[in-house]
Amino acid sequence: MEYTKGLLKEIGLEPERLEMFHIGASDAPAWARAVTEMTERARALGPNPLKKEKKTIIQNVK
Amino acid sequence: MIVAQRKPFEEIKKSLAPYQNILIVGCGTCVAVCLAGGKKEVGLLASQLRMNFRIDKKKIRISEETLERQCDREFLEMIRQQVGDYDALLSLACGAGIQFLAETYPDKPVYAGVNTTFIGVAEAAGMWTERCRACGDCVLSLTGGICPRTMCTKGLNNGPCGGMAEGKCEVDPDRPCAWVMIYERLAEENRLENIQGILPPADYSRQTRPGKVTHSAYLRRYHAGTK
Repeated sequence: MEYTKGLLKEIGLEPERLEMFHIGASDAPAWARAVTEMTERARALGPNPLKKEKKTIIQNVK
Repeated sequence: MIVAQRKPFEEIKKSLAPYQNILIVGCGTCVAVCLAGGKKEVGLLASQLRMNFRIDKKKIRISEETLERQCDREFLEMIRQQVGDYDALLSLACGAGIQFLAETYPDKPVYAGVNTTFIGVAEAAGMWTERCRACGDCVLSLTGGICPRTMCTKGLNNGPCGGMAEGKCEVDPDRPCAWVMIYERLAEENRLENIQGILPPADYSRQTRPGKVTHSAYLRRYHAGTK
């Protein structure tokens, strides 16, 4: 995970966009916490610049 | 095997800045084993470059190809058809492979994506250590299979030096002294007489670069008419 985060950092993407959680199959509260955590992080960081570019291309095509 | 490390991303990116159509050429042999330039590393680097250039809003085409070996012409020839489509080649092979790629395609700019470090072994998963400096004058038969020219930090032909302390090297106290290792190994094998004399200086004439080896069965083909 650390290695992959490093790859993201190298190319200019925030490594916090990626995370691995160990959650038991029956541990719904932990799952909810992880989802909340990632959602908050994504909101704080803003849209993924790669995704944004993709949308622009589609608009241009139209 | 030959051990290499991928160059920092920024250095690679900077070297490719003038080009828009790049072929990354990996090598499936040594650099694949040491996780520097095999098919997987070619894929990772290609994805990183594509994503990074997209963030920078730069239009660039990155293609991937991994050859069995870049140190053999027959494998390098396999990409001849497609090489013409690219502005530049980025090789993830060792220094030998990169040079042979550049030699095979003289009209294409070739860039290095790895730093070639040494001839070594897989010490553990993900860790490689040097064993041989290709001196051309091997003394391993005398020194119990431990190379003093590589494993001794000072490359001493006769040791240990005065800096050895409790079997450790003065340059790096975590590293065992190569000459102590040689002594212990030979003592165990009752072959201490091997190093009781002074080893002659290395034959540096054999280290003249660039080296050349011709197999005896091919001497007539390549050296006909010469003595």
